[in-house]
Amino acid sequence: MNGGLTYTERMRRHFPWITLVSALLLVGMTDINFLSPENLLNLATDIVPLLVMAVGMTLVIYIGSIDLSSQSIANMATVLTTISLPALGVGSGLLVIAAGLLFGAISGVVTARLKVPSFISTLAVGGIALSVGQFASGQQALHMDAEQRKHAFGWIMGTTAGIPHELIVALAIVAVAWFIQNRMTAGRTFKAIGAAEPVVVASGIRVERYKILAFALSGMFAAIAGLMFSVRLSGGSPTLAEGFLLPAIVAVLVGGTPLTGGVGGVTNTLIGTMIVAVVRSSMLYLNIPATGQQIFFGLVLIVAIATTIDRSKLRIVK
Amino acid sequence: MNQFLAMENFRKWIPLLVLIGLALFFTAVNPNFLSFRNFARIAISASPALMVAVGVTFVILMGSIDLSMEGTVAVCAVLFALMLNALGGSIAGWGWMAIPGTLFVGAILGAINGLIHVQLKIPSFMASLSLGFVGIGLSLLITGGNRIQIEDPIFRSLLTLRIGGFALMSYAALAALLIAWFIQDNTTIGRNFYAIGGGEDLARSSGLNVGKLRITGFVVAGIFFALGAIFAVARLGIAETETGRNFMFVSVTSVVVGGTALRGGSGGVWNTLVGVLIVNVIGNGMVVIGLPDYFQDGVLGLLVIAAVYLSTDRRSLSFVK
Repeated sequence: MNGGLTYTERMRRHFPWITLVSALLLVGMTDINFLSPENLLNLATDIVPLLVMAVGMTLVIYIGSIDLSSQSIANMATVLTTISLPALGVGSGLLVIAAGLLFGAISGVVTARLKVPSFISTLAVGGIALSVGQFASGQQALHMDAEQRKHAFGWIMGTTAGIPHELIVALAIVAVAWFIQNRMTAGRTFKAIGAAEPVVVASGIRVERYKILAFALSGMFAAIAGLMFSVRLSGGSPTLAEGFLLPAIVAVLVGGTPLTGGVGGVTNTLIGTMIVAVVRSSMLYLNIPATGQQIFFGLVLIVAIATTIDRSKLRIVK
Repeated sequence: MNQFLAMENFRKWIPLLVLIGLALFFTAVNPNFLSFRNFARIAISASPALMVAVGVTFVILMGSIDLSMEGTVAVCAVLFALMLNALGGSIAGWGWMAIPGTLFVGAILGAINGLIHVQLKIPSFMASLSLGFVGIGLSLLITGGNRIQIEDPIFRSLLTLRIGGFALMSYAALAALLIAWFIQDNTTIGRNFYAIGGGEDLARSSGLNVGKLRITGFVVAGIFFALGAIFAVARLGIAETETGRNFMFVSVTSVVVGGTALRGGSGGVWNTLVGVLIVNVIGNGMVVIGLPDYFQDGVLGLLVIAAVYLSTDRRSLSFVK
């Protein structure tokens, strides 16, 4: 099975978790408290909204496209959750998920059917989502009623046996995404599209439908990320999720899903997100200002793309 | 065949017709739109945007894209303000050196962008997006999140000095547009951008050094981004990280709406002028007829999709990522 792969290619698969372990050990050496179960649990819980967004992003990058609208959709989701909470209760969650699916599907239709490159189509749909968020919120920060929040989403906030429910929900979401990716026809088709789209087209598979589905799912996961973020912060605003896009893309690529798609996947992104989390908090430990993070992650992104991208799929790099 | 050519000829004029149609529409809803003062206002808000959009036009002509403008503009704006203030604070003194200095910074940032894209063989949208993030972080690091005031009245005359009703800035932007036009139509580099955009294989086999040309394109773009940054600072009198905000979406929209094809090879800086005017007329017109300005992003989003859809020849595309 692995006969056709060179040594480096086989090693490459293991890079993400090796990176994670060495990062953990490196920070652990400077401060052993960093490796305490309590701290690691906090670390993981803190990153939950980012993880959910990155998982959605994975499906789109998996087919070789990109979704730049995730952050705007998450922003919109925080606003919609907060507004609809008094009227719909827990149903506001369903509303937000539906909105995410819809916006993602629009990106998908524009990309697959109208043949607009995904970085433009998702940028445009992100603009629309931004407008909806600003319109719905009246450009203000909104707050949830504590009682209503507890009644509708209290189940996300608590802890059981010391494990925050948020983390459990997030892992369940990852599991669902993993199931879609590995055990359903759709997921297998995503992989095929990412690996060699012309072949899939020639096999008579309706590629456009699957592409639209991938974008719709990405929109949905972004909306869920926004939903969980607004429940955590007990409110919403059209700029609440600002700063999510870069770490989400970094998490996917550092995890080992290349920009050209076809390999990697949801579990890779789980590891990638944890790498981002460790790097982030270790920077706090090392007293590096938050602005330094953005520079660092931007550079990491370039390195991650350069080392993982499959150049045989890009005859001409535009 | 003749019918096809006629259709192509007609298509070329669509952006201009849209611009005229929009102006007529806003005038019909509120006659105040059609006033000299309002046009002067549109010209001021369009000047920085025009420079950034013209810059990215060169890159799009080659079939690549540059999404780093928010970071590049932020870095250039902040460094310009710091240089100007450090060199005495006045354009009349040594402060004028800040202008070539900033253009140089823009060129360097563009060169880094181009080198990463070409040498590491990373698709340009991702290379430039990453560098844009780095730029925003860099400008935050330089300013510590603060604003830098520019009080030099001579520099501010770009906004305050009016000639025939229009701000000096608008004339300066027009002059820069003419230079861009000259680069595009009358220099070898400009013609080669079209050659790469029209078909890279062909350009390569004709003996063009495509990699070097691509990097040059990004450098030219960086210089125009820096010009945009200077105008943006002149317009508000302050330089901060926020100066770069929203330039990415607005400038890419302008180029595309003006009729320059994303696949490269067709369109140009005059298309971009029309595109920038369309975007700014929509922004201004929505305020004039009493719509809140936050609808603008949504309207522009729809416009981009429509423009790319109309300008794409789908028969020639096998698949799009």
